[in-house]
Amino acid sequence: MSGRLVLAAALGAAVLAPLVAPTYQALLMLPFMAYAVALLGLNLLFGYTGLVSFGHALFLGIGAYTGAFLTSVFKVRSMEVILVAAAALGALVAAPVGALCVRYVKIYFGMLTLAFGMVFYTFVLKFYRLTGGDEGMPFLRPALLGRSLEGLSKIDYLVGPYYYYSLAVLVLATLVMWRIVRSPFGLCLKTIRDNPTKAETLGIGVARYRWYAFVISAVYAAVGGALLGPPTGNVDPTLAYWTQSGNIVFMTLLGGFASFFGPVLGAFVFIYLQDWVMSIVPFWRLIFGAILAVIVIFAPGGLAGLLTPRPAAAPRP
Amino acid sequence: MTAHVVNLVVSGVFHASILFLVSAGLQVVFGVQKIFNLACGSFYALGAYVGVSAVAWYAEAGGPPALFILPLAIAGVAAGALGVVVERGLLRFVYDRDETFQLLLTFAVVLMMEDAIRMTWGTSPRSTAGLYLTYGGVHVLGTTVPVYNLIVIGASLAIAVLIGWLLTHTAFGCIIRASADNREMAEALGVDMRRLYAKVFTLGTALGTLGGALVIPATAAMSEMGIELIVEAFAVVVIGGLGSMRGAFVGALIVGVLRSIAISVYPELEMLLIYLIVIAVLVLRPRGLFGGAPA
Amino acid sequence: MILRAEGLRKLYGEVCALDGVSLAIDAGEFVSIIGPNGAGKSTLINVLTGVLRPTAGAVTFKDRDVSGLGPARLARLGIARSFQLVQIFPDLTVLETLQAAVVSRLGRGTRLFASLAADREVQEGAIDVAELFGLGEKRHVPAKQLPQGDKKLLDVASAFALRPELILLDEPTSGVSTADKTTIMESLVSASKRIGVRAIIQVEHDMDIVFAYSDRIIALHEGRVLADGPPAAIEADRRVVDTVVGRRARAG
Repeated sequence: MSGRLVLAAALGAAVLAPLVAPTYQALLMLPFMAYAVALLGLNLLFGYTGLVSFGHALFLGIGAYTGAFLTSVFKVRSMEVILVAAAALGALVAAPVGALCVRYVKIYFGMLTLAFGMVFYTFVLKFYRLTGGDEGMPFLRPALLGRSLEGLSKIDYLVGPYYYYSLAVLVLATLVMWRIVRSPFGLCLKTIRDNPTKAETLGIGVARYRWYAFVISAVYAAVGGALLGPPTGNVDPTLAYWTQSGNIVFMTLLGGFASFFGPVLGAFVFIYLQDWVMSIVPFWRLIFGAILAVIVIFAPGGLAGLLTPRPAAAPRP
Repeated sequence: MTAHVVNLVVSGVFHASILFLVSAGLQVVFGVQKIFNLACGSFYALGAYVGVSAVAWYAEAGGPPALFILPLAIAGVAAGALGVVVERGLLRFVYDRDETFQLLLTFAVVLMMEDAIRMTWGTSPRSTAGLYLTYGGVHVLGTTVPVYNLIVIGASLAIAVLIGWLLTHTAFGCIIRASADNREMAEALGVDMRRLYAKVFTLGTALGTLGGALVIPATAAMSEMGIELIVEAFAVVVIGGLGSMRGAFVGALIVGVLRSIAISVYPELEMLLIYLIVIAVLVLRPRGLFGGAPA
Repeated sequence: MILRAEGLRKLYGEVCALDGVSLAIDAGEFVSIIGPNGAGKSTLINVLTGVLRPTAGAVTFKDRDVSGLGPARLARLGIARSFQLVQIFPDLTVLETLQAAVVSRLGRGTRLFASLAADREVQEGAIDVAELFGLGEKRHVPAKQLPQGDKKLLDVASAFALRPELILLDEPTSGVSTADKTTIMESLVSASKRIGVRAIIQVEHDMDIVFAYSDRIIALHEGRVLADGPPAAIEADRRVVDTVVGRRARAG
């Protein structure tokens, strides 16, 4: 039950943050919430199905560019339309990409996803007439629930309506994912993670289930990517670069892939710690690289693994 | 027209030579330790910066400009010593773990080295000024080809031959091939895996740092050059086949020359073409052109 | 006739593991496949369960050609198996393992948003099988923490949880103590009656178990059927005693 208390407290803090916390800190919650949505999806693949994608930034990028195109080219400003379109496009791209990728596991799966991610990255980088190249594209302020909100200053918009909108999306995404991992489907994914040969003999078609998980995780990443756009008002190709894929796997591991909320925790710690480190020294990568190394070597269960009394399940030893 | 083709081929093969060195480092490490080393691009960047510094120091000390390639190559190889530190300090803890964790640990090295390089050499690009021109050029079919490029191509070829000889004609090479095939068997035969892994990883690192040092007279050193090169090296080893030296050689030529042609014919295509080839290879022939069975 | 194999051949490169094996299994039979190491027993099981595609020949299950359909499809058609080297889901509990099998049998694996905990049919189906195999007490123990005998039992139990018509057991008692062997055999015989399994095929090295439980014994040797008959006939067959049974006794 203490878990529920912690959760309620975290949610309460998130609701109150814009009212009590300094604006700057509240603004940092926006990328956190966007990444948290993406990571919930990534972990369905990583923690529950046992596949590590090194190209998931591809779907972050698809989500973000969907929003940028809709708002700045097609003059569609409704965030609901953007999120649905991002999810649909994420699924549309993930369907063929996933069908090819899930035929492989481990390092080959990672490499294939990385290659697809780089295809997208190079595409948006090089076709600058369409995408603005390395300068990116503007992601104009979206209307929320049909309200245009143009009258608000950017800060008021972001720490006000947009903040609570993001929080609502995160809560909804969490609830849906919570159901998915506790469904018969979620159980089948775990059997595949633990022992694909055995899962197959129980009649669970491994490739098909991996593909479902891949597509769902892509939808989550695309929605997360779309949420990342409005705070900066601009999307650029670095969002889809391979190091970005590495960073989101890092966040998942940091929080703990064996735990449902681990990745959310990981995104939170990553965003705030990165901001804090950068305020002291410009070299956050040096520190974060060291943190990642320490986690991989000494605490593969991540922060959630350290916090919970029972030892974190080592996945595929 | 011929001149254009010659230029394309020479610049493509020059790039391929550098790519081969880095990819060969990636392959030898993957072959023996089964670790896909994302940090090999970072080692390449390190080699470039160390090379710049070595050449600058050499020029200050008044060494004859014509021989600058010596301190450059020595510095490049010497920077490979970092490999021992990374292997003994980090990688050795995760040999019995899932390869995902090994991959992420090398990613940690990527992050750390990128900033370590920025801390040491600053964020602005560093170059060796005009040294590139020291050796002048030769006229081939109506165009001028820099002699330096030819030297590097020759050096890379020599290293390829040397590696081939090392693998097939020396006791060390025999141990490497045996361990790549069957680790348990090699261990049972008395191969000291600890020392072998340290040596192999250092060799892989030194190939990367040497590649970085040799490229530097032709281009400027930038802190992002590592993470950019790793994806090209990645393309090389996937096309050639993971763990295969011949694969690294052929893959580097394919990637190097294709990239050079793409840049000249249709710049938008550049790496896009390469990644599409990578995907085609992974889907149609996951072992690559020369690889063994997929893990 | 529930399962029929005709002229099965399996080549691994130059090596011939199965060289024209034909057999037929009737409903109600408990058939043991015996043979010395390298006779092709495991290859035969793997071909019959779709893990391996035969080089030549065909497998028919209930008058349907199922050669090379793959284990997942065969499992859904009603052929289940267990493994010689125990296969478990290390991080799943006993109950979760059995639930996965029941979910698969009921075709509910793609229910993305349904609650597993609230699915009474799955819950009860899993508990039933756990009780049947004496694993009820340990239902919340992760599989990796079970003792070896229980791991083997769980592997077999999960195959039964599919309520298959035909079950193939690859050395169901290998690697477990003599006491555990009897427990496993008794559990699976009574479970097959309760669940309505129509036929059992097992590969087994322990001749005491083979002769105690089988209705029929098929002896394999060098990829061919050496003998096929009731236990009494096999016991009387000099060739089988020399190559399989006798050798076993001397080794033991």
